[in-house]
Amino acid sequence: MPEESDMLELLELVKTLTRKDTPARIDVIAARMGRSMDEVRRLADTASDQGLAYRTQGCIELTEAGEAAVRKHREEYVHRTHIHGTSLTGRMRRLIEGRVTDWHGHWRRHGFDDESLPSFYADMENLQGRIEETVSLADLREGDKCTVVLALGGYGMVRRLAEMGLTPGTELKVVRSAPMHGPVEVSVRGVSLALGQGIARRVLVKRSTNGQPSTTL
Amino acid sequence: MEAKRLTVCLAGNANVGKSAIFNQLTGLNQTIGNWPGKTVERAEGTLHFKGYTIRVVDLPGTYSLSAYSMEEVVSRDYIAVERPDVVVNVIDASALERNLYLTIQLLELNAPLVIALNQIDFAAKKGITVDAQRLSEMLGVPVVPTVATSGIGMQELLSNVIEVTEKAVRPVSIKYGREIEESIQKLETPVKTRLPQLSSRYPPRWIATKLLERDEDVSKKVEDEKGSLILSEAAEIAEQIEGIHGEPSSVVMASERYSLASRVVRGAVKILSPPRVDMDQRLSSITAHKILGYPILAGVLASVFVIVFVAGGAMIGVMQELFDTVLIPNTEAFLSRMLPPIVVQIVSGGFLWGVAAAATVVLPYIVPFYVLLAILEDSGYLPRAAFLMDNLMHKIGLHGKAFIPLLLGYGCNVPACVGCRIMETDRERFLAGFVVTLVPCAARTVIILGLVGRYLGISAALGLYLFDLCLIFLLGRLAFRVLPGEPVGLIMEMPPYRTPMPKAVLKKTWARTKDFVYVAFPFIIGGSIFLQFLSVTGLIWVIADFMTPLTSSWLGLPSMAGIPLVFGIVRKELTLVLLADLAGTFDFSKVLTPVQMVVFAIVTMIYFPCVATIAALVREFGVKRAVAVAAFDSILAVIVGGLAYRLLSLAL
Repeated sequence: MPEESDMLELLELVKTLTRKDTPARIDVIAARMGRSMDEVRRLADTASDQGLAYRTQGCIELTEAGEAAVRKHREEYVHRTHIHGTSLTGRMRRLIEGRVTDWHGHWRRHGFDDESLPSFYADMENLQGRIEETVSLADLREGDKCTVVLALGGYGMVRRLAEMGLTPGTELKVVRSAPMHGPVEVSVRGVSLALGQGIARRVLVKRSTNGQPSTTL
Repeated sequence: MEAKRLTVCLAGNANVGKSAIFNQLTGLNQTIGNWPGKTVERAEGTLHFKGYTIRVVDLPGTYSLSAYSMEEVVSRDYIAVERPDVVVNVIDASALERNLYLTIQLLELNAPLVIALNQIDFAAKKGITVDAQRLSEMLGVPVVPTVATSGIGMQELLSNVIEVTEKAVRPVSIKYGREIEESIQKLETPVKTRLPQLSSRYPPRWIATKLLERDEDVSKKVEDEKGSLILSEAAEIAEQIEGIHGEPSSVVMASERYSLASRVVRGAVKILSPPRVDMDQRLSSITAHKILGYPILAGVLASVFVIVFVAGGAMIGVMQELFDTVLIPNTEAFLSRMLPPIVVQIVSGGFLWGVAAAATVVLPYIVPFYVLLAILEDSGYLPRAAFLMDNLMHKIGLHGKAFIPLLLGYGCNVPACVGCRIMETDRERFLAGFVVTLVPCAARTVIILGLVGRYLGISAALGLYLFDLCLIFLLGRLAFRVLPGEPVGLIMEMPPYRTPMPKAVLKKTWARTKDFVYVAFPFIIGGSIFLQFLSVTGLIWVIADFMTPLTSSWLGLPSMAGIPLVFGIVRKELTLVLLADLAGTFDFSKVLTPVQMVVFAIVTMIYFPCVATIAALVREFGVKRAVAVAAFDSILAVIVGGLAYRLLSLAL
C-alpha cells in the first residue's frame, strides 16, 4: 500500500506537468520522483482505484476528485507555511484554528476578500514545481539569498511588489529582520526594501544554495 | 512672438534628490500647495534661462505610474493630459535599475524626456560608474550627469531641456518581447479608431499597454467612452498572457520592463570595486538593530518631544507677552474710540483672541515640529523607525509608518493629522487620522493632570491615559474592520542615510507653515468670533440650558459644565480656566465630586477635536469625513462619559 505522501506527490506532479492540451507523461513523472516507471504506474493504478486519476497512453490525468485533492493539499500547505509560518506562535494559532473544513470562509478570515480571492486561487493553481521546494521569505535568516517564485495575495499587493522589483525570478538577499516577527529588509536590484511580516510571509522564494541561485525550478 | 515660455516637470522616485534639483533650479521663486482636490503636495517655481521663462513643476516622488497611490495618478495625469514641454526624469545613479523602471514608463507615455543622472558622486563612492553617453544612446534621450546638492550639471540640464523643445526631440518608442509587443499592437488599432476622444488625450499605445495590465483607472476611462467591447478584448488577451506565464498580466509587464531596465544597466553601468561597508551601512545596522534600535528610537522621540516643548514653550511665552501687553490692549483702545462697546467686545474677544490663540498656541508648537520633521525626513531616519514599529502598529490595523503621526499627536493633533500624509493609500491615511484625534494632546494632558492628577492622585491620571490607549487600540481595530478596502502591508524603501541640508529643511518648514496658516487660521479665528458672539449676546446660556439634560442627567456634571465644554472646541486648554471662572474658585474639589472630575476629564479627552484639528482634518480628508470624525468622537465621549458616571458611582 503506497504512502499517502507518495500519492500526494504524484498528484501534485501530474497537476504541475499537465499543460493545456498535453497531459503529464509517466516517464517524466518517474524521473522527477526518482522512481521507476513501474512504480509510478502502480501508484497511478491505486490513484485510479481511489477515483483520483486515470491512465491514458503513457500519461496520467487527474479526475475532478484528484483536482480537488491537489487543491486541498495546496491550501493546507499555503496555510501552514505561508500564512501562519513555522514559528511557535504560528503553530499555536494553527492549532487554535484547528482543522479547516470551509477553506473559502477561512481565507476570508485571513483578510482575503472578493477581489483578492480569485487571484489568490489563480496563484495557487499556478504554483509550479513541487511547492515543498519553496519557502516563505519570512522564514529566511539574515544573510540568506533566494529567488522570488511567486507572491500570493491580492492584485494590488502583487503588482506593487513587482513594481518595486520583486518580479518572479529576481534574486534577493535578506539584510535584516525586526524582532518579534517584524518586517524583513531585503536587498533587491541595488536598493533596500522593508516588507511587513504579512507581506514577506506571502512571498514564496526558493533558497539559493551556496549563494548561487539555482536556475531550475 | 512674446517672451518664450516653457513648462518643465520633474519626475522621479522618492529619495533621488528631486527636490534638491528643484531647489537648485528655482531658488526662492517657488510656491507649495496641493494638487487640486488631492492631498498631494504640489511645488512649483519659475526661472529664467537663455531668454526663456521656465515654469518648473515638481511632481511627487513615485516608483511607478500605475494607479497605486494618489501620487501616481497625479503624476501620470499631469504628464499625459497637461503635457509639459519637457519631462525631466531625475534618476539615482547608484540604483539605476529600479529608477529606470519609471523611466521606461515615461517613455511609454511618449513624453519629451531629459534624464538627470543624479547622485553620481554617491554612486562613485559605492564603486558604480554610469556611462551617460551610452545610457543616452540606449534610451534615445539626452542624459545629463548631475550632483544636485552642489549644483553640478544644472546649466547643462537646462540647455538640454531647451534643445529638446527647440528641436522637438521625441523619444523612440520602446519595444518589448515579441508576444507582449503583438498583444499591444492588437489592441492599439481598435483603441485608435474606436476611442478617438481618449486617444487624443493619451497615446493609444499607452492606453493599450495599460488595458493589458488591467489598470483600473484607464479601464474606467475606456468604459466611460463606451469601450466595453475593447475592454473585453483586452481582458481576453490579458488572460492569454496570464495563461502562458502563470502570473497576473501586470506582473508580466513589470517583468518585461525590468528585463529591459537590467539590459540597459548591463550596457551602461560598470561596477569598479566591490562595495565596501560604508558609514551608511554601519549607521543602518545600528539604528535598525533588533535591540539597540529601540533605545535609539526612544532617544530620538524623547528629544523631539523635549525640543518641541521647550522651543514651543519659549515661543508661546514671547508671543503671549506680545499679544497680551502690546497688541490686544492697544487695538482695543484704538477700536473703542470709534465703535460701540458690543462690537468692540466681539472684535476683540473674538477676532483678536482668535488670532492670538492661533499665533500663540498653535504656531509655536508647529514650527519647531516642522523643522524636526524635515530633518528626520531628509536624513532617512523615519523609515528605520517605521521598520522597528511595524509589528506593534499592525495591532491597530496600521503599518509602521503610522507610528510617526500617532506619536506626534501627543504633542498636538494638528501636525499629526498633516503627518498622516506619509501613509500611502487614502484608506490608511484616514485610519491614521481617525486614531490620531483620539490621542490626548498637550492641552488635554493639562486637563487630565490639572483635574484628575491633582485631586485624585497621579495613578488616577495614569489610569485615564491607559484607558485612552485601550480605547485607541479598540477603535483602531474597529475602524480597520469597518473601513472598506484592502489593508496595505508595509512595502517601503529604506533609503541610505544622508546629511540634511539646512537650506532645504528651512525651505520645507517655511512652505508648510505658510500652508498651515492659510488653512487653519480662518477656522480658529472664525470659531473664536462665533463663540464670542454667543457669549456677548447671551445665547451661550440658552445653549447651556439646552445641554442641561446631557450634562446633568446623563453625565452627572453640574449644569454650568456645558459652557467650558463648548468653549473647549476652540481651545481645549481653556476649559479648565473657564470652569474655574464659572465655579468662582480654583479649588475644584469644592465644586466637583471625584466621579465628576473623572467624567469631565474623560469627556474633554475624547470629545469634539479642537477647531484647529478640525481644520487639519478638513484639509486632509475633506469636510464630510472631518464632520464624521468630529461627530463620532463627540458621541463616543458622551456615551463613555455617561457609562463612566454610572459605573464609577456604583463602584465608589
